[in-house]
Amino acid sequence: MTQIISKSDLITWLNKLAESHVLIGPVNDNAGVTLFRKVSQAEEIAFDFTNTTLSPKEWFFPPTETLFTVERKDGQVELVPAEDVEAKVIFGMRPCDARGIALLDKPFLNEPADTLYQQHRDKTALIGLSCREVLPECFCTSMGTAPDDSSNMDILLTEVADGYIIQVVTEKGAALLAECPEGLLKQSEVTPPALSSAATVPIEGITEIMAENFDNVYWERLADRCLHCNLCAYVCPTCYCFDVRDYNDKGKVERVRTWESCQSSGFTRIAGGYDRRAGKAPHLRQRFYHKLFYFPAEFGSVACVGCGRCVKACPVNVDIREVIMDVHNLGGQSGQQ
Amino acid sequence: MFIIWEGKVDSSNPFIPHLATIQSVTDLTSDVKLFRIELNDPAVQENFDYKPGQFAFVSAFGIGESPFCITSVAHLSEGLEFAIRRVGTVTNSLHELEEGAIVGVRGPYGNNFPLKDYEGKNIFIIGGGIGMAPLRPVINFILGHRDSYGDLLVINGARTPQDLVFAPEFDTWSQSPNAKLELTVDRGDENWTGRVDLVPNVVKEIKPSPENTIAITCGPPIMIRFTLAALKELGFAPRQIVTTLEGNMKCGLGKCARCNVGDKYICKDGPVFNFEQISSLFEEA
Repeated sequence: MTQIISKSDLITWLNKLAESHVLIGPVNDNAGVTLFRKVSQAEEIAFDFTNTTLSPKEWFFPPTETLFTVERKDGQVELVPAEDVEAKVIFGMRPCDARGIALLDKPFLNEPADTLYQQHRDKTALIGLSCREVLPECFCTSMGTAPDDSSNMDILLTEVADGYIIQVVTEKGAALLAECPEGLLKQSEVTPPALSSAATVPIEGITEIMAENFDNVYWERLADRCLHCNLCAYVCPTCYCFDVRDYNDKGKVERVRTWESCQSSGFTRIAGGYDRRAGKAPHLRQRFYHKLFYFPAEFGSVACVGCGRCVKACPVNVDIREVIMDVHNLGGQSGQQ
Repeated sequence: MFIIWEGKVDSSNPFIPHLATIQSVTDLTSDVKLFRIELNDPAVQENFDYKPGQFAFVSAFGIGESPFCITSVAHLSEGLEFAIRRVGTVTNSLHELEEGAIVGVRGPYGNNFPLKDYEGKNIFIIGGGIGMAPLRPVINFILGHRDSYGDLLVINGARTPQDLVFAPEFDTWSQSPNAKLELTVDRGDENWTGRVDLVPNVVKEIKPSPENTIAITCGPPIMIRFTLAALKELGFAPRQIVTTLEGNMKCGLGKCARCNVGDKYICKDGPVFNFEQISSLFEEA
């Protein structure tokens, strides 16, 4: 037996949660883009979305976030920490994106912990939604997750004909469910519908082969068509490079953190102009080495969740699935320049 | 509400610097100033322990923050000293500041020169331009623990005689027991009677023995490249040659992913590396 909730009762429950938390869910905007946005009521949520254009990473690691404000009074300087973040419930998190957050935890919560990130993390609950369909760009099952993976959620819902199956995963999830008004949860024998399988990518052994091919001419060829538009990093749920800079608006000074991409031209340039990673190929190579070699070396898993967003976003079809296959074909014989 | 949150976590936000006050500003060259900075909270200043080779971020509030090596030696100086060349936005702004100005300091970060391991060895310092800034605390540490080390040889090069950053300290360095200082410039002037030559050529000319010696170098990339070749020619093994790397970095904590050289971070695994370690990195440092 499983617990299920009808769609209209789910909306009632989410609206109850919205009374004490900021409710965030996938919302369609006018331009055909689906993004995780704050909603004042659950009726605004796009329940029938496939995957969102941007990952919900922005709710844990915002594109621009104030670290502290500098207050000057009578010649004195005071640094005012960023305000406490709000308690949030994110509805509709896909398993790939939840794994993305779990991967972001590794650098951000590694000692010394990034306390702002930690606060976002602790004060946010994830109500996940199993995928109803596998998209052509999806390859999550090769990247340590699956369309029905509950492991990084607080609650996972799975859509069935007469509602949603409820799977409570964590204590946080149990606390959320305890706020569900009485009588809305039903017992059912229903089982989730079967899905077609996602494309598979040969990720086994990739780090060992990457180790052999850093100087391979392959990266030059691949980078020839790269425009360094940074879209891949922008849409990626696991890209976490950042910049820190000061904004000075009419004397109001804030130190902010912003998203940054290893594809941007000034990424490694130091004052005086010297850039040890000049050129297109070293930039693009850094993206794949960080995801497939450095991150696994540091934290034990590949920094990709198989969501396929970069595959869809890239204007010149640089496709991480092809790169992984190509690297396998390069094998141990490095085609040194 | 489902969250147990203790609050006040942001007081431990590692990005919030300590407030600090500039105690003095000294012109070292036309574009390098020495800033002596004390942290405003005496208890924090007291506990701010650091070793030669470590760095800290200095903030010019409203402009930004940048990483700088700490050029003083803990317990030998009051507060922290930074030798800062005017070369970009933050350094331009810092150069505008005077005694009494409030800045931010966070750190110390990174590893350090393993001076304990070098005890009993001869130390050969090769520095060019502002590259002397991280080497100065090594020299002063060794002179402060003179009996623990063998001979000290310093080769210091600069573009012109006016660009020799730590000129006021040259007498102290050269007059210390078993210490020798060799200066060289790219272009002399009417008062200059010393060498006019490139640093790597001076290394080749002086020919220090690699026997029981550690060479520590920092300077412009081109100087490092040819100095490394000269040292290898003299028989120095890569692990006997040590340098400190510079990188564009934003956190100092191994999080912003800006300063990686291959699978190592300059901020966390470095900035001090020997050339055996550097040659095992994937990427050119």
